[in-house]
This record gives sequence, structure tokens and C-alpha cells, in this order.
Amino acid sequence: MKSDRKDNKKLGISMRARLLLVVVAALTLEATAIIQFVYAQREIKQEASLRAKSELKGAENKIMDVVNQAEAAVRNSIWVAEWCLENPDSLVRIPQRVVSENPVVVGSTMALVPGYSVKDSLFAPYVAKNMETGEIRRVSLATEEYDYPSQEWFTKPLELNDSYWSEPYFDENGGDILMTTFSMPVKDKNGTIAAILTADISLDWLTELVGEIKVYPNAFNIVISRSGQIMVCPVETLVMQTTVDRLALESDDYEALDRVNRAMLSGQSGEMPVRYQGQTNHVYFSPVERTGWSLSIVLPEKELYNGVRRIGMIVKLLQLLGLAMLIVILRVAAKNQAKYHHLNEQKERIENELHIAREIQMAMIPKTFPPFPERKDLDLAAAIIPAKEVGGDLYDFFIRDEKLFFCIADVSGKGIPASLVMAVTRSLFRAMSTHEDSPAKIVTSMNNSMSETNESSMFVTFFCGVLDLNAGQLRYCNAGHNPPMILTDAIRMLPVEPNLPLGILSGMDFIEQETPFHYDDALFLYTDGLSEAENAAQEQFGEARIEKTLHGKKRSQDHLENIKQQVSLFVGEAPQSDDLTMLFIHYLGHANKNSHHLTLHNNIEQIALLPEFVDAVAEEAQLDHEAIFNLNLALEEAVSNVIMYAYPEKTDNVVDIEAMVEGKRVSFVITDSGKPFDPTAKETVDINADMGERPIGGLGIHLVRTIMDTVNYERKEGKNVLTITKNY
Amino acid sequence: MNINISRENNTITVYFSGRLDTPAAQEITPQMNALAEEASNSIILDCSELTYISSSGLRIFLMLRKAAAEKGGKIIVRSITNDIRSVFMMTGFLNLFEIH
Repeated sequence: MKSDRKDNKKLGISMRARLLLVVVAALTLEATAIIQFVYAQREIKQEASLRAKSELKGAENKIMDVVNQAEAAVRNSIWVAEWCLENPDSLVRIPQRVVSENPVVVGSTMALVPGYSVKDSLFAPYVAKNMETGEIRRVSLATEEYDYPSQEWFTKPLELNDSYWSEPYFDENGGDILMTTFSMPVKDKNGTIAAILTADISLDWLTELVGEIKVYPNAFNIVISRSGQIMVCPVETLVMQTTVDRLALESDDYEALDRVNRAMLSGQSGEMPVRYQGQTNHVYFSPVERTGWSLSIVLPEKELYNGVRRIGMIVKLLQLLGLAMLIVILRVAAKNQAKYHHLNEQKERIENELHIAREIQMAMIPKTFPPFPERKDLDLAAAIIPAKEVGGDLYDFFIRDEKLFFCIADVSGKGIPASLVMAVTRSLFRAMSTHEDSPAKIVTSMNNSMSETNESSMFVTFFCGVLDLNAGQLRYCNAGHNPPMILTDAIRMLPVEPNLPLGILSGMDFIEQETPFHYDDALFLYTDGLSEAENAAQEQFGEARIEKTLHGKKRSQDHLENIKQQVSLFVGEAPQSDDLTMLFIHYLGHANKNSHHLTLHNNIEQIALLPEFVDAVAEEAQLDHEAIFNLNLALEEAVSNVIMYAYPEKTDNVVDIEAMVEGKRVSFVITDSGKPFDPTAKETVDINADMGERPIGGLGIHLVRTIMDTVNYERKEGKNVLTITKNY
Repeated sequence: MNINISRENNTITVYFSGRLDTPAAQEITPQMNALAEEASNSIILDCSELTYISSSGLRIFLMLRKAAAEKGGKIIVRSITNDIRSVFMMTGFLNLFEIH
């Protein structure tokens, strides 16, 4: 439950972190987009402004070109006109010359100031040119209905005594075209204004010219005259029909429009935003010199930022897509993380359980030292220093029937499988050695069991030994384990047969070896965790160091402590990569015990020799009367059994009795070369049975079992060997 | 090993003295077999001087006990030492015999 809550909390934090990450990413993207948008807008605005200004300048230049041409046409004819004042008949040649010599001029007149000439009070010959055909016609403007002296082109220069560009107007004589007139006073020798010379220019080209200015597709241009009359405008119905002031009055944003109008009419140049019919527009304007016109480009803001908006939309779309992807990736990552977390936890749990399993296994392995405090013939110590990862090292030992069974093993690999195989190895060792005394047989059965079920191809190097504590004989079988060190007069490696490790090949016969084991001999078994312990320089501890460390007489436990210390010094800070397992067996039997021998013939009368023999043994063991009585009884029963059953033919044979006393421990080994006879195989007697059911026999072995602590029968080298032991 | 057998009325008393081990048991078996024929009487096995008994001796006791049961007689074990008592205990003979 506790760990569940922890889980939720962890997941919760991760969820919040993910949310925060998404929000931050979104904000960053949005901020970038906004900044980009703002800068782009500014850039675009500047760009538009520059382009508008340059276009305005270009248009103005073109207009000025025409304007200049018209002005030049008039100015260049002024001196002729002044000269002609004295020859009124030739006056008509002046406009003729202005029109024909100047392509931009569509009409021209030389209008006399009324009263200047006596001959005619009104005189204004007009020459007009058809722009399409080039045909020239002459009319007189001195008509009553036209009344030229009241026309602006006439009155203004007269009033100003200077040249003047008229307001644009529709010419009624010259073919209904929109035009404007440049007028200039013509003076006589006295400096009196005698006439006004004009040049008309059509404004059709102006519309065309201005229409060519296309800063943006939906931008448009407006040209106004000095009075605010609209000269050029995309809405044709407005041209010459209304003024900008009237337009401003009709609009919903009078102030802005009026401000623009004032600026334009006062001949300023610049740019201003204007709201018109619900839309924001940027108006760029610039005056046209001398004419009093103002040229403007109107750019709807929507149009201006269309591109940016479109890019903005794409950016937004990409942002959303990116965020969606980020969310998806985070979800997947979080899931993976949760999975990983889960796996990790599982792994931890398994490892934890494995450690517990290992502890249980370790608990089964004898770990109390000295393990047999009552025995003076054996000094044994063992140790496992486990690596961080669970490994598969094993040692085990126990005493059965005066024999020390022991083993050391190293399972290939590490982790769970190794640990499981180790558990199997241990239980097999215990199972097989319960009934079997031969190491080779134990190893062979273990190998068969393990090979048959070994699907993981794991193997176990295994050394199994059986030390006969009475006889001082070591029998052993090595299944691929590194050879132990035997400590006799010298320290050397125990010679071992190159048997395969366990679990590789079923049906293999393992070869058994033996060696006498005398008083003070010792055996040191270890796994490669010791010999292959590495220091930081990757040097191995090695057999030579092990051998060196083993010198000197010590208790087994002290030997192990010494080795541990030496390895620890050698390895230093380098991590321990493998289990390190050691088993030290120091034999102190045989020489320490007094041996008593008695050889009997297979004659029942020889039983009478037993009391004296038992007395001698008992004296050494300092036994009391009751103990002597019982020992005597047990020995007699054991020996009489042999005489009666192993030698039924009564041929002359011997029964050999060896008695040993080790402290308070007495044992008899009864050896005969009769037919195989195992007294321990007899059924036990039910001593509580009714008399009628009581068999006559079986009491003897019952007494032996009751009196003695261990009774062990062996058929060895054609002999029956019965060992009975009693601890006092 | 010595045995003395005394008869008094219908009671036969057997005095054991010394060690009743396997050879001794073999030695007295004929006498004991004869005794078993008289098992209709009361037989007292006096063990006050019996210092040792092994399973062969116990088998003789058991044989007598079975014969007495068959013939309607009675076996009484008398005056056993602690040593003999312990052997009787180990073998369950304490329950088989009337012990005085």
C-alpha cells in the first residue's frame, strides 16, 4: 500500500512537470511569434512607407516632367507673345506655336486683357489639339457665354501678376476632357499685363500615371487639387465631383480624415493612419510643386499585413502541431518512464526477494563456527563474502557416521538463475550424501539429476569430499572446480582428475580419488572469487598469494580472517565482482587418539576377552561403571552378531576390533572378512510388544542402537566394517 | 558363570551368579531347556549375584517366560541389580516379567 501511494505521488509530480513543460513551450512559442509578428509589422510598415514614398517621388517626378514641359512651352513663347502684342494679327500664331511644338500641351490661348486693345475689347484665339489624331483646330474663346475674363486661368495670374496653375476642370470647348491650365501674364513694354498666355494639359495621363503606382494590389491613389477637389480616385464618380472636405464630413472618422486633408492641402508630405468605412488605412502623401496638388497613396492596413497574417496563421498552425506533438511525445515518454519505473521496481523486488532467498539458503548452510565444538579432531571454518549482485557460490558440510561430508561449488553466471541453481545444488548434495558415502557416486548422481533438468545450460563447478575422521582418509571427487590446497608438510595443490563440471553431460562417470589425511593435515577449498579477486590495476590475487597467505600454524578461523585481510589489502577500492567462498578443514584426529586393538577368532568363546578390552578403553576415557557396562554390552552384541552371522560356516577367521578414544568420545570399528552382513538392516524390535509376539532375535542390534550414538555399517574392500560410537 | 537350582515344594529357584554373556548363555542353554519343561511350577530367577547379561541371556529368560505361559506356570525375577534393571528397561523386559 505504501509503495502504491509513493507511485501515485511520483506519477503526480511527473504529470505536473509535463503540464509545466507544455505550458512553458507554448508560452515561449507564442512570445516568439508575437515578437516576430510585431517586428515583422514594423518592418513591413517601414518597407511600405519607403516604397510609398519612393513611388510618390517617382510619380511626382513624372508629373513635374509634364508640368515643366507645359510651363516651358508657355515661358518659351512669352517673348514672342510680347513681340506680337504690337502686331495683333499675328497673335493667333502664339497658341498655334505652343500647341504644335509641345506634345504634352493639348490646347493654348493668348487671351487679351479686356480694354487693352481698342480694336476688340475681347480677344482670345484658342488652338486645340486632338491627342489621338493630332488634328489642330482653332476657336475663339471671346464668346459671351464663355466669358473668358471671368475664368480662373485668366483672373488668377492677372491678380497675382505671376504664373498660375489652374484648378482642374472639364473643358467644354476642347472635347470634354479633364484638364488644367498653366497661365502666365504677357506684359508690354511698359510692364502692363496685356494678355494671358496659357497651355492646357490633359489630366487623362495623370490618372493613368497615378494608376501605375501599385505599391500593393489593393492600394489606391488619390490626387487632390489645392482646393481639395478630387482629381484622381479609383471611384470615378467622385472625380471632379466632390472635395476631400466633403468626403471627411461623410466619413465616420472625420478628425483623422480632416487632419490628413489639412496636411495635404497645406503642401506637407508624410503619412497618417486613417479609419475609413471601418477599415484602417495608411495614407502616404506628398505635394506636387507649383501645381498645389497633393499626391497620396492609400494603403488598407489589412492589405499591408496580409502576408504577415498569413505567415502568422501558418506559424500558429505549426505551433499547435508542435505542441500536440510535444504532448504526444511527453505522454509516450511518461508511459515509458512509468513502465521503466515499474520494471525497475519489479527488478528491485525480485532482487530483494532473491536476497531473502539467498539469506534463507545461507541460513541452511552451516554458519556457526566452530561447527563441532565437541570434536577435538576437527577444526573447521568457512566463509562466503557475497558480491553485490546475487551469485551462486556454495559451501556445505556435515558429519555423518564419523565422516565429514563437505563440498564447495561455484555456479556459472550470476543473478537469479545462478542463485536458483545454487539452491538446487545444495539440496541435491544433502539428498545424495544422506545415503551415499562415495564422493564420486554423490557427484555422479548430482550430475545426472542436474543434466536432465538443465535447460538453461548453466553448470556448476563442484568439489565433494568425504573425510573419514576415524581412519584419516580423504576421498574426494572434483567436478571442474579449481583444485583445493592441501597443507601437509608443504602446501601444494591437491591433484584432481579433470572431470567436467556438473550439469553438462548426463551419464558421465566421475572419477574418485583418495589421499591419506594425517593428524594436523589441512585442506583449503575456495572459489575463483578468491584467486581472481582483482585490484584496481586488474591484477589477480592468484594462487601464489593464496599459498603464501596459508603459511604458518593457525586456527582455521584465523586462517580465513588472515586471507580476508590480505585480499582486502590487495583489492583496495576495486569493487568485488564475484562471490568469494572459502572452506578450511584442519584435521586433528588419529594421532591425538589412543587406539586399542583386539583381534578375535570367530569363536563365540572369544567374547570373554571383551570385558578386559573394554575396561582398558574405558580407563582411558575415564568412564564410570554404568558406561563400562553398557559399552561392554554393545560391543558384545556387535561382535557376537558378526561371529554368528558373518561366519556361519565356522571356518577359522578373525574379527578385528579397533577402539578409539578422543576425549569423551569412544568408538569401535569392528572389521571382519566374512560374508556381507549388515546388522543395521535388521528390523528394529518392538520392545513394547506382548510377550507372545516378541521374537527371540533382534534384541542384540536393538541394544547396540540404544546404547551407542551412531551405528554405521560399510562393506569396504571385501570386508564388513561396523563402526559404533558413543559420546560421553 | 555359575547357576544353582534349588527346589522347594512347587517352587524352583535358579541362582545366577557372574556374567551371563553369549558364551555363558550357550553353556547353560541345555539346563534351561530342561527347566522349561517344568515351567508349570513357579520359577524364581534370583539375579542378586548376576553382574551382567547380554541378549543371549535375555533370550533364555524370554524362552522360560514363554514356556511358563504355555504351561500355566509362573516366572518371577528376583533381586536384580541396577545394571540388570537398566538392560531390562532398554529391552522392555520390565514389562514382561514379574520382578520382586
